[in-house]
Amino acid sequence: MQKIDNFSMELNFTETYRKNINEHIAIREARCHKAQFPAVLSEIQENDRLAGRTFWGWVGFSPHNAPGGAAFGYFCHELKIIEAIERGNIPVEQRDAVHEMLHFWKKETSKAKVESAFTDKMIPVLFRDEIVSLPYNFKPLIANPIYRMAGVFLDYEKLLRLGIPGLIEEITEKMNVVKASGGDYQLFEGMLIALDVFIDSCKYYEKQAIEKAKAASNPQRVKELLQLAEVLKKNTISKPESFYEALQLSWLYTLMCGSLELGRVDVYLGDFYVHDIDNYVITEEEALSLMHSYWKLINDLFRDVDGRVIIGGRGRRNEANADRFALLVLNTIKTYGKAILPQTTLRFYEGMNPLLFEKSLDLIGEGHTFPLLYNDDVLIPSVAQAHDVPIEDAEQYMPLGCGEIVLDHMGFGTPSGSLNVLKALDVTLRDGIDPITGKRLGLPTGHLRDFKTFDEFFAAFKKQLAFFIEILADHEELEYVESGKQAPYLYLSMLYDDCIARGKGIFSGGIRYLGGSLESFGSVNAADSLTAIKKMVFDDKLISADQLIEALNNNFNGYEKEYKLLKESPKYGNDDAYADNIMVELHDFMCNTMRDQRERTNLDWYLNVLINNKQNTILGRWVGATPDGRKAGREMANGNTPAGGNDKNGITALLNSLVKPSPDIHAGAVQNLRFGKDVFACERDKLNALLNTYFKKGGAQAMITVINRGDLEKALVEPEKYQDMFVRIGGFSARYIDLPRDVQMEILSRVTY
Amino acid sequence: MSFVKITEKAIIFDIQRSSLYDGPGIRTTVFLKGCPLNCLWCHNPEATDGNRQLSFHIEKCTFCGKCEDVCVNRVHQLTDGIHAIDFSQCLLCGKCVNACPSSALKIVGKWMTVDEVMQEVLADYDFYLNSGGGITISGGEPLWNLPFTLELLKRCKLVGVNTCVETSGFVSSLRFIEMLPYIDVLLFDYKMTGSAEYLKYTGVSNEVILNNLEIAHSQEVSIILRCPVIPGINDTDQHFEGILAIDRKFPNLKGIELLPYHRMGNSKRLGIGIEETLVSLETVPVELSIKWIERLNELGCSKVKLGVG
Ligand code: SF4
Ligand code: SF4
Repeated sequence: MQKIDNFSMELNFTETYRKNINEHIAIREARCHKAQFPAVLSEIQENDRLAGRTFWGWVGFSPHNAPGGAAFGYFCHELKIIEAIERGNIPVEQRDAVHEMLHFWKKETSKAKVESAFTDKMIPVLFRDEIVSLPYNFKPLIANPIYRMAGVFLDYEKLLRLGIPGLIEEITEKMNVVKASGGDYQLFEGMLIALDVFIDSCKYYEKQAIEKAKAASNPQRVKELLQLAEVLKKNTISKPESFYEALQLSWLYTLMCGSLELGRVDVYLGDFYVHDIDNYVITEEEALSLMHSYWKLINDLFRDVDGRVIIGGRGRRNEANADRFALLVLNTIKTYGKAILPQTTLRFYEGMNPLLFEKSLDLIGEGHTFPLLYNDDVLIPSVAQAHDVPIEDAEQYMPLGCGEIVLDHMGFGTPSGSLNVLKALDVTLRDGIDPITGKRLGLPTGHLRDFKTFDEFFAAFKKQLAFFIEILADHEELEYVESGKQAPYLYLSMLYDDCIARGKGIFSGGIRYLGGSLESFGSVNAADSLTAIKKMVFDDKLISADQLIEALNNNFNGYEKEYKLLKESPKYGNDDAYADNIMVELHDFMCNTMRDQRERTNLDWYLNVLINNKQNTILGRWVGATPDGRKAGREMANGNTPAGGNDKNGITALLNSLVKPSPDIHAGAVQNLRFGKDVFACERDKLNALLNTYFKKGGAQAMITVINRGDLEKALVEPEKYQDMFVRIGGFSARYIDLPRDVQMEILSRVTY
Repeated sequence: MSFVKITEKAIIFDIQRSSLYDGPGIRTTVFLKGCPLNCLWCHNPEATDGNRQLSFHIEKCTFCGKCEDVCVNRVHQLTDGIHAIDFSQCLLCGKCVNACPSSALKIVGKWMTVDEVMQEVLADYDFYLNSGGGITISGGEPLWNLPFTLELLKRCKLVGVNTCVETSGFVSSLRFIEMLPYIDVLLFDYKMTGSAEYLKYTGVSNEVILNNLEIAHSQEVSIILRCPVIPGINDTDQHFEGILAIDRKFPNLKGIELLPYHRMGNSKRLGIGIEETLVSLETVPVELSIKWIERLNELGCSKVKLGVG
């Protein structure tokens, strides 16, 4: 028998929204939370030591976390609802209402609100609907909007210092003051309702834990469940006093607020942990067991590209305790077994406890893809410069999801667009026309044969890029404006500076810094293509402009000679000035053009990110053959890393190239390095020296995978034997055998050292 | 054409950056072309001949015939799926290399000045400093082009780059001693035990070689002994005892590395038109090399470990 598709939560949520449609947005949102929680909270599972699982509805409210793709404020997962309608298993009494609900949200979701506010300039470029239903579009676009409020890093320290009762007290006081002065007190009223909903949810789980304890037979499990119930109860009546209470509170709050990031766990949990260990409140094993449960929940509920747990680095007020907790995190990675999440991130600086770095390398050497390494000595000054904030604020930088840098509980910067740089080059070669559809996709800047010099051609390409960048920056701003009108995002506003003090929602003037980022893909291929064009068409004149276009149109078939010349043109990643300089020029142009958008918009920053999240492969499918010798439809290079197999001059040459594009004009660039297991096992000193030198030379970041090329090849033939082989694809970690074949091939094609 | 002193130029076979296995730290290995020895097991036969050479990679060839079309010397002949190459007629004009769409043809060896080599070497300067690495000059036999190697060594010392030379030791002692002050680490080959054996398998006698080893040792240069081990040729107790004797005689050796036979030299031989050697010999499996190490340990040689050649 087929499962019933019950929409009672969604219908109730919709009804609540509708009834409150003319209420203050804070009240409306708070009541919607009440319709959503605890209804979407799912059961405590066998072995869970912490309470908090969700199965979000197909309609709901969340900044980011949601099933089947990202949420964006008020969301409605149309495809899923249509699927259910077509299955025909919706209870009879709900059917009309479900159809009506679907219709209702068409105009009411936060995304719909943004779309209806599109400017005339945006509409032809952002092809709205095609992207909407499919999280990552399947159309050959250059500029793609992204809808989600990613990168929530709450003020966990405040949450744990005050606890829920303390927060209620603070907000009530503030509300009374504002009310007395005739201000907008309803924002605070909404917050208080939201906190009530939180308390109800704790109670819901408390009750469930007790019931489960009654039903459990294993005495150990009974004890665990009763302990959990006790912890949940404490969370409702006082601030947390133990590590367990702190962990439970921070987890449930993270989940319910719709965030997908965990932030500086070592800072906010460190004191609790150290206190409990030193006072024999808890044993190491007990702490580790809680951490395993935490890890499991993150793996079950978060998506592979998110879930940042951040340890180490400057700007930790309780460094000694935080270091001890960071070691617990590393030990959790070691003992939990290989996993996709969380994306544990080690921030380090010269002078930090060296044990953290060493142990991290040990883990990587054992084949874990974490931690990811972030060099504070380079990044803090870079962030201060790029984001234009004081050093103390830059010290609180947080890489979100795939690596876009924002500031802990004071600066938001969701990536709201992706730019297919290589596709932009594709059309620049052809007067702005897309060779796939024959339609205009870019500006009419002329055909390749029309340009007399390489610089003229490069200038035309820059003009195209600037055009798309402006539209995407405007779109980012529009997202915030419309989101701010729709909802104050209560759970975030309570724990983001300076929303309470200003009495405003996070996206309507409350937050200290409101920035944004643009994910660019294919820059390296574009740079190498420019290099090949410069060398072959303009400098050496070995290929004519028309010949080149013909060769590309034919995917090099019948143009073997041209293919070879293009392939052998200098490539980024070999410490070769000819190629690297063009990469740097392109990088500078893109980063600076984006960074300048702060002048045109109200964003505090708008910065390039050179990350990767499978998009290099997915977007590449729609780009024809390119002058760097990349064949039609093939993947584009990863983040800031050379295209697969193009770095032929050894790892030191690669590292020298990687540090050339400057780090202080963007919000994060992925640097993938892969080393064979043997290097870790036998040449550890040399590896350390290699990484040290790279970081000293200005290397900001490294994502290291340890794998043998042979492993990957064998995994293609006998996948079942390589279940536990995880690889990093720039922004995240994935089970190699689960990846699409072309992504697998792309990874394989990268050189292993 | 400008006049260039002969001492400043050499035919460079390859420059390999980030090499982790040719001496201490992270290194840049410069391979010079040309070697007076002719070891049967040579795994780098393309570097033996002192001249530039045409090389052919059959696995990449698509038998398109383009090379045949462009070569006026009729070096390439394609008939019935066979690509015959008459290497002796090649004048190294490079036309076929450019014409080949699948990169199956290459000219190995490139004239480079000391300046040009230095430029490449210095690019990784910071990596050397942090790892205790530097340059490794290898070949071929780097001491065969002594003026160039000496000049390169001096230039490295001048800017504080650690130097390492990989040598068979077959060079006049007078010249050898001249360069020792510029060498930090010597990777010194010890190939066979016994003079007649040495001559038989490498084409030269070992007296001057052993002499030079002694000189280097007395000059307190860091020496790592490198011993290629070829099953059926020198994996004998007689040779292992020879290694042990060297170890005893020269107590300051920094280490002894075994380099087990690898058959990849043969495809390279075919690619430059010379006969394969040791045709039926397979690459040494790891287990066997470990047995050799154990045997040497048993005999009393404790410094020995597995190298990567
Ligand atoms: S290099 Fe010149 S001479 Fe030699 S085979 Fe090629 S085309 Fe013929
Ligand atoms: S041109 Fe290249 S691929 Fe064609 S036959 Fe000659 S070697 Fe082979």
